[in-house]
Amino acid sequence: MILENIMLAFGEVLTLKTFLLMMLGVAGGLIAGAIPGFTIAMAVVLTLPFTFSMPPSQGLATMVSVLVGGLSGGLMAGILTGIPGTPSSVATTFDGFPMARKGKPGLALGLGVWSSFCGGMISAVLLVTLAPQLARVGLEFQPWDYFMLVMFALTITASLAGKNIVKGLMAGALGLLVRTVGEDEAAGMARFDFGSEMLLGGFDFIAVLIGLFAFSQLLNDVRDPVLARKSLSDAGPIKARIEHRAAIREIARRWVIVVRSSFIGTFTGILPGAGGSVANILAYDQAKKSSKHPDKFGTGISDGIIAPESSNNAVEGGALITMMALGIPGDVTTAVMLGALLIHDVVPSPTFISEEPVLAYSIFIAFFIANFIMLFLQSGMLRVFILVTRIRMYFLAAVILGFCGMGVFALNNVDSDLWTLLWFGILGFLMRHFGFPLAPMILGVVLGNIAELNLARAMAIDESITPFFTRPWSLFFLIIALFSAMFPWFQAARGRKKWTLLYLPFACFAACLPLAMMAWQNGSVPRGIIAIVVVTSGAYILAQRWRSGWSLEAHAGPELSEK
Amino acid sequence: MRYMNRDAWLAVFLLLFTGFMFWASFDIREPDYGVLAPSVWPRVILALFGFLSVIFLVQSLRAGPGAAVEGEEDRPSSVKGYLAYWRNPIICFGLFAAYLALLPVLGMLLDGMAFVFVLLCALGGWSARDMAIHAAVAVVTVGGMWSLFTFGLNVLLPTGILVPGL
Repeated sequence: MILENIMLAFGEVLTLKTFLLMMLGVAGGLIAGAIPGFTIAMAVVLTLPFTFSMPPSQGLATMVSVLVGGLSGGLMAGILTGIPGTPSSVATTFDGFPMARKGKPGLALGLGVWSSFCGGMISAVLLVTLAPQLARVGLEFQPWDYFMLVMFALTITASLAGKNIVKGLMAGALGLLVRTVGEDEAAGMARFDFGSEMLLGGFDFIAVLIGLFAFSQLLNDVRDPVLARKSLSDAGPIKARIEHRAAIREIARRWVIVVRSSFIGTFTGILPGAGGSVANILAYDQAKKSSKHPDKFGTGISDGIIAPESSNNAVEGGALITMMALGIPGDVTTAVMLGALLIHDVVPSPTFISEEPVLAYSIFIAFFIANFIMLFLQSGMLRVFILVTRIRMYFLAAVILGFCGMGVFALNNVDSDLWTLLWFGILGFLMRHFGFPLAPMILGVVLGNIAELNLARAMAIDESITPFFTRPWSLFFLIIALFSAMFPWFQAARGRKKWTLLYLPFACFAACLPLAMMAWQNGSVPRGIIAIVVVTSGAYILAQRWRSGWSLEAHAGPELSEK
Repeated sequence: MRYMNRDAWLAVFLLLFTGFMFWASFDIREPDYGVLAPSVWPRVILALFGFLSVIFLVQSLRAGPGAAVEGEEDRPSSVKGYLAYWRNPIICFGLFAAYLALLPVLGMLLDGMAFVFVLLCALGGWSARDMAIHAAVAVVTVGGMWSLFTFGLNVLLPTGILVPGL
């Protein structure tokens, strides 16, 4: 059955048209990733209108290709100009740019390209193996659990999205509120329409996403008139050829870093709200800590390029695991992918892989193939990508704004979507100006209906709210939502306040309770073992900290927040 | 008033917005069927939003009037300064609104070209050379995109009354 589905999926993806679209997608993603100020999420958002008229597997394969291309595109600008193309490539510049300046740009690029490829492939393997397993766990979820999962996704995104969690949570709540405008899905009653036909129909959420993210980002990019007229990268002529053989040799010698960083990337991606900008810093930090010569980091060594590039490409595999197995987007880009599924009438949920196996396997296969295309294109089109970074920002902004208009109209063929684009463009711009993160709002918009629908289902089954606190999965998500809400305070005080030494052990003790409940109720031995491991880890950390006399020095770490 | 900073004013505005939306939620009709009334979920969200706005207000007031506000560094303080600082975004929003207003008259193709051309000139300059480049970019990019949607993806884009069919 699985083989049959895989073969069918291959048939869907390996058509000439799909393959060409994937090539275009990867090239588009690489270009978008190479341009500082043009984020991967924006590239994926702008691809969405094109995929509307395609079959779901073709549309999603194209979007996956943009995603894979975008993740790798940032390294070129970072290595050659010192300006990271995307936040996911920030750590790559720490050693990539010095190495290029030392006269080895070809090796630096080779290390980046091949590390990206390895990271992508390792996360693709993890995606194929872990997503179906996690989906099996997801099948246990009842409406209470699913509602709490959405709340957890929003809380952790808010806590990782900016310096002020209150602003993050407000953005998430605003996103949920935006989704309530129009007729409600359960009873068909008008909400917040104020007598307007346009509001009665609700906001098309793709127009909302493009307005919030792409429109507002472009206006931020051209805010400064002088910078808007400058080339994105004013570096002089760059002559570089990727040194593939030398790079492969270096990576083979450092395979431990590649594997560890890819795992860091994948598991960061699985966590809702955390993406490439967290993963590349984490992997760089881990590589530095485990190195025999940490003092050489930042001077242009191979480890400093391999670690961040392996991890940032592995992130999307992890984010896709969460999206496909649980129906929860791992980050903004997978939130848009989830939107793409919805416009093709595919509702993501834990049953997605079992109900739509061909589509699910098409995404897996597209992810694999896109990594090979990325490797090929990045090697062959290096000069094109460097030339693209010479474009003046105002050209890009004007042309993309024009395209936004056309793309958004094409979604539903109604003028009102264009006004939605404008209003949400203004809202997104104001939110950026006032320091509100957009990621929680976007997740709120995407997950709003899912949360309400599950709340309604839960209430229809049992009018009491007790199951939200007594069902193991629901309690588990509630506990980790509370700890993730406290995470910004923990991060700000880590290494300075004593209470932060108790955060991790207490999180382990608290998470152990629902795990033990699951083991007790279902007679599940593996979950019992996990509960014992979690509680033992908590006790071990606590004992270690007690033995070190509650010393704070050893517990400072990298700042974790999505850019 | 002397305790207020920009974030505090924003928090007050958000509290007023919450109050207004909460009041509007009483206009939502309650059907006789279903357990979860259509007004419950929006009210839960608004209650949470209001609570967070209060925390935001308290945070802002505790920071004091002189506190540096996130994203406010190096910003002008006069109205003229603000207009100069935000010139480009204001132009973009204004031209996009004009683009939407003129859509029924010019149609997507001509309106799109006009929008991109004027925006490029407004952001990049009005010299003869610039205008020639901007016109070429507008025609090629919007024309290309319009052709892709119309002929490649079979999307019916709006036509104008000025030049029917385009």
